[in-house]
Amino acid sequence: MEFKDYYATLGVPRDAAAADIKKAFRKLARKYHPDVSKEKDAEATMKELNEANAVLSDPEKRAAYDQVGRGYRPGQEFRPPPDWDAGFEFSGDGRHGGDAGDFSGFFEELFGRAARSGRTGAHSGAHPGAHFGTGGGTGAAGGTHGRQFQARGQDHHAKVLLDIEDAWHGATQQISLRVPRQGDSGHVVIDTRTLNVRIPQGVRAGQLIRLAGQGAPGFGGGVAGDLLLEVGFRPHPRFRLDGRDVLMTLPVAPWECALGAMVPVTLPGGGDIEVRIAEGTLSTPGSTQGSILGGTPGGIQLRVRGKGLPGDPPGDLLLQLDVRVPPASSARARELYESMARELGFDARANQEAKP
Amino acid sequence: MSNGTNGIGSGIVAGTALDEDGLSLDELVRICAVSREWVVERVEDGLLPASGFASGMTAATDAAIWRFTSRAVWRTRRMHTLERDFDAVPELAALAADLMEELERVRQRLRAAGLE
Repeated sequence: MEFKDYYATLGVPRDAAAADIKKAFRKLARKYHPDVSKEKDAEATMKELNEANAVLSDPEKRAAYDQVGRGYRPGQEFRPPPDWDAGFEFSGDGRHGGDAGDFSGFFEELFGRAARSGRTGAHSGAHPGAHFGTGGGTGAAGGTHGRQFQARGQDHHAKVLLDIEDAWHGATQQISLRVPRQGDSGHVVIDTRTLNVRIPQGVRAGQLIRLAGQGAPGFGGGVAGDLLLEVGFRPHPRFRLDGRDVLMTLPVAPWECALGAMVPVTLPGGGDIEVRIAEGTLSTPGSTQGSILGGTPGGIQLRVRGKGLPGDPPGDLLLQLDVRVPPASSARARELYESMARELGFDARANQEAKP
Repeated sequence: MSNGTNGIGSGIVAGTALDEDGLSLDELVRICAVSREWVVERVEDGLLPASGFASGMTAATDAAIWRFTSRAVWRTRRMHTLERDFDAVPELAALAADLMEELERVRQRLRAAGLE
């Protein structure tokens, strides 16, 4: 396991005051905030920052880290001495409000074990009289040191990337998770756990899927936590999603719009439907009659109710009509264009000023 | 540490989509790893949307009917992180969360229009 230099991560000297660490963290947290940042790898960087801050902003953890990390260089193979944490009592649950699995193996090795044993009460009284930091001492763990202590396991969080087709049909998705476990040597080992997950039909981006009992195990007979999957979608060459609405571009010929037509459309789920394009669609852009949603500067959009992602209620299928102009590649085609030019009196730029 | 339910790579686990309106206060608190009081305060101050909440309600008697969406989960975590990392007052964290949600909506519309 590689040694991590948390001071370098935050860009502060080893003797930095708590206020300077806070300031450095905030500056970087603003820069790499994953929701806003344009930096590459903002999310990964933010995790590193959170981890470094979780250790360096906590006097107990910082003291332990300083002691064990003496003489190590970043990236160097790290092996903590046996019982290095004797004399440290980590209050709280060893985390900083983050999710299990967010922090590195290095962090788990240093603080995960102590935090876990602290929660089960096994740590209680093992190293009397050697508490670091705040006056809370063992009590800081919030009354978790009783003999009968029982607790539900933590919920774990993970992301899952789906294809639109998966949400359409429901799908079985294989996901791999990193799970810290206490090995035989007493050190923390990171296992990779593979789960085959049945994804329910009709899930939307941002929705949570709960896998009951697949989170961290409980303590003292408590039930296991849940695993919560955040749903995201891979880009699709033909379809885009907005909630349960499915958007796609539908190429049409000018006369299909002008005269009306039945046009076949293949849905993300594989089925075909026929969409009726009303006669006169071309002549009344902006009309909301029938299935025409509205004329936009980019063209005409049709809404087909209930043909988006399945669900309760199902989404709609939104078709952006892309009127394709036939090429004037033959003498006959030229003739037709010539008669249109002569007889229609059409000015493509007539409404330019009138448009709001 | 005993654990009877976590099979390693065995079988298929059925996932349940959290319904749009399906989370109780206790579930939200657990999922987001925040305190109940923290959530109640922000619901009462109108910073965190809960269906079933009306002003003048007290958490002691009425919180049982509050329901939270998946969206509220992200908002809760976001606001909590902002308050923690920047010592932001709750209203400021909520304002930043509003802007981030707006940004998300705009980006989604850009993507839907094929512009991003």
